[in-house]
Amino acid sequence: MDLLSAIWSPTVICQILMGLSRTVILFIVASGLSLILGVLRIPNIAHGSLYMIGAFMAYTVSRLFGGGVAGYWMAVLIAPLAVAFLSFIVERGIFCRVYDREHIMLFLLTFAFVLIFGDLVKMVWGAEYRTIPMPHFFQGAIRILRMPFPIYNFFLLIVGPLVAIVLYFLVEKTKMGKISRAAAVDREMVAGVGINVSRVFCSVFVIGCFLAGLGGVLVAPIVNVSLGMDHTLIMEAFLIVIIGGLGNIWGALLGALIFGLTASLGILIWPQFGIVFPYAAVIVVLSFRPTGLLRSTW
Amino acid sequence: MRKGIILAIGFASLALFVTPPAFAQNTIKVGFVDTYSGPPSVYTFDVLDGFKMAIEKVNAKGGVLGKKIEYVTRDEKFKPDVGLAMAKELVMREKVDLLAGTINSSATLAVSDFAKKEKIPFICSFAKSEKITGEQGHRYVFSVAENTRMIGKAAAVALSKKPFTKYWMAGEDYEYGHAVAEATWRYVKEMKPDAQLMGQTWWKVGEADIGPYIAPIVQAKPDCLIMATGGSGNLIFMKMAKAMDLPKELAVDLHTSIELSNLQPLGNDAPEGVYGTVNYLYYYPETAENKAFVDEFNKLYNRPPKVGALYGYALGQLVVNAYQKAGAVDKEKFIDAMEGLVVDSPVGKLEMRKCDHQLMLPMFFGVTKKTPDHDYLIATDILTIPGKDYLPSCDEIMKVRKK
Amino acid sequence: MRTLNQKSIISVIVIAAIFAVAPFGLPRFYVYLIALIVTTGLLSTSLNFVLGFGGIYQFHHAVFYGAGAYAAAVMIMKLEYNPWIAFVVGPLVAAFLSLIIGLICIRLSKLYFGMLQISLGSLVWVIVYRWYSFTGGDDGIHGISVPAILESPNAAYYFTLIVAALSLFIMYRILNAPFGSILQGIRDNVVRSQAVGVNVRRHQLIAIVIAGFFAGIAGVLFVVVDNSVFPDMMFWTLSLEITIMALLGGWYTFLGPMLGAAIIVLLRTFVSTVTDYWALVLGIVLVFVILFLPEGVLGKVFEIWHERRVGKTGEVERAREANYA
Repeated sequence: MDLLSAIWSPTVICQILMGLSRTVILFIVASGLSLILGVLRIPNIAHGSLYMIGAFMAYTVSRLFGGGVAGYWMAVLIAPLAVAFLSFIVERGIFCRVYDREHIMLFLLTFAFVLIFGDLVKMVWGAEYRTIPMPHFFQGAIRILRMPFPIYNFFLLIVGPLVAIVLYFLVEKTKMGKISRAAAVDREMVAGVGINVSRVFCSVFVIGCFLAGLGGVLVAPIVNVSLGMDHTLIMEAFLIVIIGGLGNIWGALLGALIFGLTASLGILIWPQFGIVFPYAAVIVVLSFRPTGLLRSTW
Repeated sequence: MRKGIILAIGFASLALFVTPPAFAQNTIKVGFVDTYSGPPSVYTFDVLDGFKMAIEKVNAKGGVLGKKIEYVTRDEKFKPDVGLAMAKELVMREKVDLLAGTINSSATLAVSDFAKKEKIPFICSFAKSEKITGEQGHRYVFSVAENTRMIGKAAAVALSKKPFTKYWMAGEDYEYGHAVAEATWRYVKEMKPDAQLMGQTWWKVGEADIGPYIAPIVQAKPDCLIMATGGSGNLIFMKMAKAMDLPKELAVDLHTSIELSNLQPLGNDAPEGVYGTVNYLYYYPETAENKAFVDEFNKLYNRPPKVGALYGYALGQLVVNAYQKAGAVDKEKFIDAMEGLVVDSPVGKLEMRKCDHQLMLPMFFGVTKKTPDHDYLIATDILTIPGKDYLPSCDEIMKVRKK
Repeated sequence: MRTLNQKSIISVIVIAAIFAVAPFGLPRFYVYLIALIVTTGLLSTSLNFVLGFGGIYQFHHAVFYGAGAYAAAVMIMKLEYNPWIAFVVGPLVAAFLSLIIGLICIRLSKLYFGMLQISLGSLVWVIVYRWYSFTGGDDGIHGISVPAILESPNAAYYFTLIVAALSLFIMYRILNAPFGSILQGIRDNVVRSQAVGVNVRRHQLIAIVIAGFFAGIAGVLFVVVDNSVFPDMMFWTLSLEITIMALLGGWYTFLGPMLGAAIIVLLRTFVSTVTDYWALVLGIVLVFVILFLPEGVLGKVFEIWHERRVGKTGEVERAREANYA
């Protein structure tokens, strides 16, 4: 009994809740990455950069509408669309010409955009930290088990499953989703049936990048919006996608959960090297299931 | 064979990239290596602007010893290896008379080591590692910024006066974080023997989601939390402190929490009631010299000066006065002149201590508070701790250098 | 297999002579720069050993470079060993690390292999970054004492040149030996190689270890030239920069990566004095290379040379194959 009460102690529960809110952001970004990886077979290392651009755009849009509540919601609406539009231009302009090249070339191309986007952000927004004011009704904390739990984190815990449900419908129930899944498995056959594969790829790419931008907007009020956000996030997103199974959105959810929970519980156990726990989880998972936990599209 | 010739020609043609050094003759050349891109640049531009302010007046009158003071900058992009490479380039190619910089402790230590080998004076303008003038200090390195040992002692001077006995330390897991926290705790324990350290928590530098780290600390209920974060970590922590209303649960002390660079971006979203230390506040003390400094800075650069401006201004003052005293543009004479030199500054007279080449800055301790006069928080209940009251003694420094 | 003939020997001597007298003519800064280029070029060539010649998606090669450098640095500064011993241990540690990471990743192929390697490499980076009491953390380690003979910039330069030249020579010989042919065969067609009885996994693993070993040597050379180590030496962005160097120079050629390293290091040094936006420049260069120059500078040069020599059709392919060196 002692062990059980130790496991479900307030400390642990609060720790789990705290970890889950970060998981939501990771899931949203990783699902976009997984989508692009699964259908287009491109490990889009620039995904982190788009996340960063989403956050910076949220700052700008929020300023435009005077900060506060209106600013925040307009940012949530507009910024991811702006990121999606940017990715659309890049895809039509450059990527779609090189789909027939080896994967490593595509991968390096996305790295080129990590460099380019990174400096573009520096040029447009300068080098300072930006912060987005937290809208009124999100300010403050609720007491859960004697611990102040920020309201905004609650909001994230609701948004996460919402996004997952929407993605589910998109992928499983729409025609678009079915075609994408088919193209992931056998693009030649899909083309042979008369579907414009290039347009499918474009849509998938844009949606994936939209998700990255959305992640950036949602995280903006609680972190510093600054250069370098892209580098740290993309590593975590890669890990999640690997654990979950390349191209599998539910894998991304599972991976994000594992990652977020091992990270926050790891901190309880060994604060200095807590960050090692998610990596250890990756190695453990891959020892038993090299292609990831859930079915991968590869 | 052809390959070889092609390569040799390739190498040679790449030499066309040679650009001539930037300086005119007959000037005193200062080479700044610092981070001028990315978040740290908000601090470093202040340093440069403060420096420019100090030398512009002197240059208008013809300079020092008949020579104008010129400066060049190189961006290390917060990467120590780039910083070191840039320092080498400044010395070997641009042939500067002295080096200054950087905000990155690791780069500063690397450049300091290089300066020692090259026998060229190097003035640290922002980095806070205590090793710079402490363990790895030497004749050729100076510092016009505070270091972690100093921060710890100053904070302890203030905190030991308060009724806190149970402490917790937390912050970003890197040299600065650990050094600042450990120094603070060490001196608190010295000044208040019955203080206890309940625990410590460390997260990776730049960690955005520190909720899971803070939660257990709140549960443990210490009296005072010694925070040890840097640059971006400060802002992340302040945001979380506001979101969780942390100062209501426990006292928090964080170096530079009351500094403008941290409070301005947060606007009215910053937490009230957080304790902190800093070397410069533009609104305190309201002396004539500080006001004059702030007005001039505002006029030139359209913004109020932050702590970096003080470092840069002091640096400029030191350079001007040291060369004047030395009577020649000679590296060794410059160093001799710097030792014990006293210069004017917006916070009074500052002495460059001879034994360890550390500038004796005053430290201000205060608490954050909202005010209707500004759209950011300011510090109130300010306690001024003069340099001689909190700098580690020369003996202490010599002891660590020997180890 | 290229045979050495009189012309080759003479040109090698000429080039060696140029490099040998360089320190006496050039300003110190350029001597330092050349040493840096040679070190980076060795690193880039070691990457290409598995990437261009083995077709292995080695996405986090920098980790082995950093491992070699850190191992040597820690041995000298923290464990106080003789630097010469540390210089030997460094590459061995790097080789060992590449063996371990290789073993974990080898079951997967292509992009999956690369992504996993990035993740594992990042784990190593995280540990080095956070274990500051042992590795100096984000500060890195500075003022590393090297043997007295190597202290002057010129001495470091010559040492670097000699060690790099030797390493390049060894790698070149391996690539032209049966092992190298098999490796390239695996790159071109895994299934066929297996059918012929080649143990693909073992070959690739050996190649990875060799590449890691030479990356470790490059790391040690960096310590000699700069007397410091930084955690950034193990960061994934450096790995991709090295890959860009290999691609830019031409990753189907042996000396391409060296040329790519020279171009990038020089470009970076001089662009940085003019603008802050080096990353943007590099990114644009990379896009340009991928779209228009995928065979790299050297590759393109050879292509043009062969086209002129042998005529445009299928001859070019055969001629290019004959020139894999």
